[in-house]
Amino acid sequence: MRRAGLNRLGQYLIVFVVAVTLNFILPRLMPGNPLALIAGVDVGLLTPDQRAEIIEAAGLNEPLISQYFDYWKSILTGDLGFSYRSGRPISELIAERLPWTLLLAGGALVISAFFGIILGAISAWRRGKKLDLGLLSSMIALESLPSFWLGMLLISLFSVSWGLLPSFGAVTPASDLVGWDHVRDVIEHAILPVATLSVLSIPGVYLTMRYSMLEVLGEDFIRTARAKGASETRVLFGHVARNAMAPVVTFLAIRLAFAFGGAVIIETVFSYPGLGRLVFESVGGRDFPVMQAAFLVFTVAVLLANLAADFLYPLLDPRTRARNE
Amino acid sequence: MTPASSVGLTDAESSVADRRRVESDEALLQIEDLRVSFEGRDETVHAVNGVSLAVKRGEVFAVVGESGSGKSVSMLSVMGLLESPPARISGSIVFNGIELTTLSRRQMKSIRGSEIGMVFQDPMSSLNPVHPVGKQIAESVLLHRDVSRKAAKARALDLLDRVGIPDAGKRADDFPHEFSGGMRQRAMVAMALACDPKLLIADEPTTALDVTVQRQIVTLVNELQAESNMAVIWITHDLGVVAEIADRVAVMYAGRLMETGTADSIYSSTRHPYTSGLLRSIPRLDTPLVERLPEIPGSPPHVTTLLASCPFHQRCPLGESGCTDSLPELEDTGKGTMTACIHHRAMDAPGSIWPIEELSRSDDKSSELRHLVAIEGLKVHFPISRGGFRRKRLAVRAVDGIDLDIHSGKTVGIVGESGSGKSTLGRTLVGLETPTEGSILIDGKPLDTSSGAHRRRVQMVFQDPYSSMNPGQKVFEIVSEPMRIHKIGTPDQHHQRVAELLQMVGLRPDVIDRYPHEFSGGQRQRIAIARALAADPEVVVCDEPVSALDVSVQAQIINLLRDIQKRTDLALVFIAHDLSVVRQISDEMNVMYLGQVVERASRDDIFDNPLHPYTRALLAAVPVPDPHGKEARLSPPLEGDLPNPADPPTGCRFHTRCPVAVPGLCSEKVPEFREVAPGRWASCHLIEEGDKPILKIQKRETEEENNEPTQDEETNQ
Repeated sequence: MRRAGLNRLGQYLIVFVVAVTLNFILPRLMPGNPLALIAGVDVGLLTPDQRAEIIEAAGLNEPLISQYFDYWKSILTGDLGFSYRSGRPISELIAERLPWTLLLAGGALVISAFFGIILGAISAWRRGKKLDLGLLSSMIALESLPSFWLGMLLISLFSVSWGLLPSFGAVTPASDLVGWDHVRDVIEHAILPVATLSVLSIPGVYLTMRYSMLEVLGEDFIRTARAKGASETRVLFGHVARNAMAPVVTFLAIRLAFAFGGAVIIETVFSYPGLGRLVFESVGGRDFPVMQAAFLVFTVAVLLANLAADFLYPLLDPRTRARNE
Repeated sequence: MTPASSVGLTDAESSVADRRRVESDEALLQIEDLRVSFEGRDETVHAVNGVSLAVKRGEVFAVVGESGSGKSVSMLSVMGLLESPPARISGSIVFNGIELTTLSRRQMKSIRGSEIGMVFQDPMSSLNPVHPVGKQIAESVLLHRDVSRKAAKARALDLLDRVGIPDAGKRADDFPHEFSGGMRQRAMVAMALACDPKLLIADEPTTALDVTVQRQIVTLVNELQAESNMAVIWITHDLGVVAEIADRVAVMYAGRLMETGTADSIYSSTRHPYTSGLLRSIPRLDTPLVERLPEIPGSPPHVTTLLASCPFHQRCPLGESGCTDSLPELEDTGKGTMTACIHHRAMDAPGSIWPIEELSRSDDKSSELRHLVAIEGLKVHFPISRGGFRRKRLAVRAVDGIDLDIHSGKTVGIVGESGSGKSTLGRTLVGLETPTEGSILIDGKPLDTSSGAHRRRVQMVFQDPYSSMNPGQKVFEIVSEPMRIHKIGTPDQHHQRVAELLQMVGLRPDVIDRYPHEFSGGQRQRIAIARALAADPEVVVCDEPVSALDVSVQAQIINLLRDIQKRTDLALVFIAHDLSVVRQISDEMNVMYLGQVVERASRDDIFDNPLHPYTRALLAAVPVPDPHGKEARLSPPLEGDLPNPADPPTGCRFHTRCPVAVPGLCSEKVPEFREVAPGRWASCHLIEEGDKPILKIQKRETEEENNEPTQDEETNQ
């Protein structure tokens, strides 16, 4: 088990190295001068002195290989350079923004997992009945909603028409709330974006769970459980649920990655100060160093989510546990 | 349904006393006019059409039938395990004095698993993969007995021990995937017996198992049944197993009982054409070889309208217009059977009603033997992926050093337990696996898998005719595909050739526009054979070609393959676990164990005088469809399971299970695969070479009679 775990970690390490390398190469493959990436302005506007200065500072006059190692050094020390727009250290920017995105993505993950799994289970249990058909068609309808449209719809209903919830930001500006009031404020601001993200994630979880349940319900060991004299509830919880959960866990991990990507749109619609919004802002301002760093964070998040799923899976399904020798 | 529906359990129990007085108190299960139909969107399938039978306390009752005969469905309705809808059940099922059809779900639940235990066909899928085996058995106890978890666990250990799981205490926490097939089926038996049921229903419990393991399970259930005096209903298609275990037998066909009676009377004096046809058509080891297996023409019907006449009459040699007038009921024939046939009196000479097949043997093949394929030192290893960096070089040695020659017009039979590597050998021969070592030479040239090359010359027929064909292709596309792949002929020629092929395999050429799902299993296997023959191959590898087919259809396919071979001089490689089937078709036999051939000989030699202890064990495990003298015949089953093919035992690979292994010799020294007599090869230290080779253990017995002491035997047995 431990050996297999180490091997798995090793595989992720390889993927991480490849991702970082790509992140290093991509800006250098982009059309134009890397100076533009660093300085963010038309290179033509710079004086030769300024150019030399920037090249020197960015180490662009050094051989590629030492640039590559410098890049690794800066990543491992957490020094991701400076934002061209604000001039602040990027690591600081990310540390400021990441928690908000984690709040949105994590919250949406928990909520969509909860509703998706329960509704999927109910649907499969009553397959072919009215409830199942109703749920199934409404989930498919939900899945096809564009996220920005849903976000704007929620804003116009809950914020504009009914005035129940704030429509932008993560906290009320200049309110200096502390303690319980602060928590409440944060939750109030998060409700709409989390709801939007959740609603969009539920259909996927629901469909995966429903399909997985139906698959397990048709298995021979379910008939065995009934032949033992187990009640229907006992069959559902003791025999079906755990078997059906394994594929859902994998799905959730992939979904988390999507939630990070989806955050770009949702955070923009809700003017939420997360990582997605940061990406949006830096795209608009051609702030390449920030984009590069944000992508790196996304990559790491996806890797971590998959890693977690990999370690969770054997707990649910003993067949995937590597055996000790 | 009885009018007294919705009785509470207590009411039911109080009425038990009255009922018992009325009914014979011997009958544990009494089924009256059971009917089950399944309503589909397009049609209603009538699976059980009026079955009445009684099972006595403590008897072993076998229900025999082909797929679709309603044998499983009728017993699942006893258990209340059919989902309704789509199933519609009517009739009466009285178990232990209680009418089961009117019980509520809760009442039924308390009988299932407690009063009636059930064992299913496939032990691989019938256990929940995410719970430890011991826990699953304990669950059965906890569901019905008011005991603590600890007590239930202790009971589970007891049961595992009783069904013969070695080291039960340690193995109880293992998950099902860590058990072998045989052990899983033992665990299933333990689970079914957890609450000491009065009735055990076993639904094809050995069909998915190897013949050696089948023997273990049959012996186990026999012992447990004798100890506890529970009744056993054994559902099967295998007349051999029935003969070994059953007191009484019911033969089902198209949802009807065709015949019931004691096992003796069914086997020796059946009065039903169907039963007699079945008994004639199964290949068996205890009778002289017949050139052609007697067939039952056609295939079992798919009943979608209520039966009004004998469902067997179209396939029956006695079928005439009188058979369609009414539905025959079971009648006492006075010969120990109850038979549903209006012609049962014409059956006084059993078997004679079936046409005698011409027995001319055209041995004189005009063409001489042509050496087609030479396999030398073939090894196929599958690395076990451990992932990561420090990968350990472990491999499943599926095929581990095999030499084999294939000649035109001859059939090479390959037998062995599952995991012996016989299928891998077949797949490698057609180029589906790449050899790790060694060579496959066709006419002296190495196997080339590119299209149009050698691969055309070696084709394959797969086991499962249901999944080995693309369901979206029409028969024409399926059969003509090999010609298109190997670029043989023009489209016009394809049409002509497909029509010829279909005729050759016994199908009407006008089926070319149909899809596979419109055919029965036997017909599909015919299409598969036509496909294999399409590119005009010289060798056809048949991997378990009849094991997925109904008993009455198997003989047709075996005969078809033989006929084709005679006409075309085709070489066949016939891979099967069923020794009686392989005997029927093979010229040369190869017995495989853990990736190696342990014995090779002509068919007659190997069945008349098997040498290798493994061959003997395999042959001894084959059930014989004749209940006479079964006690004398039931040799102790081969112990244990196939060892891990990634880590085979040292010395002789069979020594861990061999009943005659000599410690210090067999466990140390690898036996050489040597010619022990002209044309006979075997790898065993204990075989004495000579014109009439023998296993030394035999010799010892004769020598002991002569009071001549020998040196190396004290250690044996």
